[in-house]
Amino acid sequence: MRPQSENFKELARENLAIEGQRKILNQFSLILKALRDASFATLPDEKAALEKGRRIREDAIKNLPYLLEMFEENATKAGAKVVWASDARQANDFIVSLAKEKGANLCVKAKSMISEEISLREEFVENKIETYETDLGEFIVQQAGKTPFHIVGPAINMTIKEVSDLFSKVMGSPETEDPTELAMRARMFLRDKFKNAQIGISGANMAVAETGSIILVENEGNIRFATSAPKTHVVLMSIEKIVPTISDATYMLKLLTRSCTGQRISNYVSVITGPKKAGEIDGPEELYIVILDNGRTKIYADKVLRGALQCIKCGMCAAVCPVYTHVGGYTYGWVYSGPIGAVLNPLLLGLDKARDLYHATTLCGACKDYCPAGVDVRNIVLDLRAKEMDGDRYFDAEAPPFLIRVFYRIWAWVLLDYSRYKIASRIMRIVMPFVIKYGKASNLSDRLIQWTRCRDIPQVAPKSFHETYSELKK
Amino acid sequence: MKDVALFVPCLADQFLPEIGVSVVKIFRKLGVSFTYDKRQTCCGQPLVNAGDRKGACHVAKHFISIFEGSEYIVAPSGSCIHTVKEHYPRLLADEPVWYQRACEVSEKSYELSQFLVSILGASDVGARFEAKACLHESCAVLRQIGVSDEPKTLLKNVGGLDLVPLNDADVCCGFGGEFSVDYPNISEAIVKDKVNNFKASGADILILGEPGCLLNIRGYMSYNGVGGQVRHIAEILAGE
Repeated sequence: MRPQSENFKELARENLAIEGQRKILNQFSLILKALRDASFATLPDEKAALEKGRRIREDAIKNLPYLLEMFEENATKAGAKVVWASDARQANDFIVSLAKEKGANLCVKAKSMISEEISLREEFVENKIETYETDLGEFIVQQAGKTPFHIVGPAINMTIKEVSDLFSKVMGSPETEDPTELAMRARMFLRDKFKNAQIGISGANMAVAETGSIILVENEGNIRFATSAPKTHVVLMSIEKIVPTISDATYMLKLLTRSCTGQRISNYVSVITGPKKAGEIDGPEELYIVILDNGRTKIYADKVLRGALQCIKCGMCAAVCPVYTHVGGYTYGWVYSGPIGAVLNPLLLGLDKARDLYHATTLCGACKDYCPAGVDVRNIVLDLRAKEMDGDRYFDAEAPPFLIRVFYRIWAWVLLDYSRYKIASRIMRIVMPFVIKYGKASNLSDRLIQWTRCRDIPQVAPKSFHETYSELKK
Repeated sequence: MKDVALFVPCLADQFLPEIGVSVVKIFRKLGVSFTYDKRQTCCGQPLVNAGDRKGACHVAKHFISIFEGSEYIVAPSGSCIHTVKEHYPRLLADEPVWYQRACEVSEKSYELSQFLVSILGASDVGARFEAKACLHESCAVLRQIGVSDEPKTLLKNVGGLDLVPLNDADVCCGFGGEFSVDYPNISEAIVKDKVNNFKASGADILILGEPGCLLNIRGYMSYNGVGGQVRHIAEILAGE
C-alpha cells in the first residue's frame, strides 16, 4: 500500500466533504461502543481486566527478544519453519519465491494488516499468482480496488448498494440489497479458490512463545479454510504479536474479541501448532512462519514509543476517536488508521512522512480509556512532537524552522516572569482588535486567522484576573 | 482551615477573568483561606503539547517554586492540573531534586470541583442559579485527571438549576489547543456535533470545567448565531 500520509490535510478535506460518510461513522461508533460495553459488562471488573491486558502486553513487549527466540524454538519443534524478515523486501521475496517453488498460481489470503503494510498481494499479482482476499470486507475492498478503511472493518464505509453494484460487476450476478445474499455470493465465488489454491496466507492475532502456536480469530470461517485447505500455509506476523503463555493468550482473547466486535468470543478461534501431523485429516502439509520486523526493533529500542507495539489491532480506538469518526480511515493515508495509526504510521514510515498524523489529535485520551492493551497514544503523540521539536535523525524527524523554535523559546521565557507576561498580554491587547477586525475580511493564512473559519476569536478581557484581583481584595 | 494557593490559568486570566473572580467568591463564601501569588503566569501546557520540553521544564520549575509552599494548589481547569500532576514529574525525571519537588507539587494539586468535594467535603456550596443546563465533561477533567462525579454532585445541589442530560457529554469538543488552529476544518466538524447535541438537549446553558473548551464552543456558537450560553462551572457555583 503506497503511503499517502503526507497528504493528510488534503485527504481530511476531501473526506469531510463525502456526503453520508459522517453518518456511517457515527453509526459505526455508536453500535460498536454499545456492543463493546455490553460485552465488557460480563467481566467481573472491567477496569481490572483492562489493567491486566495492559500488563500482559507491556511485559510481552519488554521481554520481546527473549520471547521471540522461545517462540522460534517451540514453533520449530512443532514442525513449522520459521523465517525472519528484516523488512518488506525480504518478506515479499521469500514468500513469492516459496510460492513459485511450490508451483503456485492461485493463492487465498486471510485478512492481514501487515500484508497490506508490505504490499504482498500486489507482489503476488505482479508475479502472476492469482490472489484472493477471503475475508468478506477485504474481498470487497480488493474487488473495488480500494484500501482498508478500518483495521477490523475494512469496508465499513461502503453501503450495501455499492457492494451490490460491485458484485454485479465482478460476478455478473443480479443486484440485491440483501446482505445475507451478498455474503453468500462472495462465499460461492470463493469456494473454488479455496479448493484449488496451492498456498494460503494468513496473519496472526497472537503468537504464543511457550507452545510455538499461532492464534487466529475470525467470524467467517475463511481463515480456517484458507489455512487448512491449501498444502502450504504461510503465516505472516510482525514481531510484536508475541504473548508469553497460552494462559496470557486466552486472557487477551477475551479482551480482543470484546474490543473488536463486542463479542465475548469470535465464531472461530484457531490455535495452530505446526503443520498437519501424521494421522491428522486437516491442515497444511507445510507451515511457514515469517516474522517481520520492518522498523519495529527501532521502535522497541525507545522505552516510551515501544508502547505502540503493545497494540493488538482491535480497532476500538478508532471508534471512540473524535478525529477518526469525522475524517474516516482513508485520511490517515496508510495501513493503520485511527489513534494507533496516528502513531504507528509515522513510526514506521518516518515522522517527516506522516507529520500531520501526530499533530491532528485533540489529545482527548478516549483511546487510552478503551484500549485493552494499555497503549497510551496521548503520551506517545507528545513524545513524537518533542522528538520533532529537537529534530530526530533516528525517526526521520526534521526540526521545525529556526523561527518556530525561537518563537517557543521566547514564549517560555515570557512565562518565567510576570512582568514579561504582562507586557506580552498588553501587546496582545493592542494587536488582537486588529486581528479580529481585519482577520475575517481578508484571506490571511495566518495561523490565528484559521480560528475564524467557524469561530469568533475570543475577546481579550479589558482587565486580566491579575489586575482584577487587586480590586477584589479591597 | 485549609491553606490554598489559587492558580488561575492563563486563558482564564486573559480572556475569562470572571472564572477567577467566581472561584474567589466561592472560597470566601466557604471560608477557605487562600492566597493568589502574583508571580504566577502559566503552567506551560502549550509548550508540552507543542513538544518544547526544554521550555516546558523552565516553566515547570517556575511554577513549582511559586506553589510548593502551599498545602493545596487549586485551579479551575483540568488540563492545567493534569500538566502539573502528570507532566511535571515526567519532564523533570532526569533531575532528581526537581523531580522530587515536582512529585510533591503533583500530589497536592486539585481541579476546583475535585477540591471542593473531595478535600473540603463541600458538595453543596449553597449556590443558586435559575437555569436549565447540561454538563459537558471536558476531556482533561474527565479522563486526564478522572474527575466526573464531583462536578455533577456540586451542580445537583445548586438551587434552581435544572440539570438535563447531554448526549455524548464525554466526547471531545474539538479544541485541543494547537489542533483547532492547525486543523480548523476537522475541529469545526467536531465542535459542530457538540453544539448540535447541546441544542438537542433543550438546555439554555452549557456548563463545563475547562477554559479551553469554553472559548472553543462559545466562539463557534457566537459565530454561527446559536442561542444559549457556555459557562464555567465556577460561575454557576458562585451564583447567589
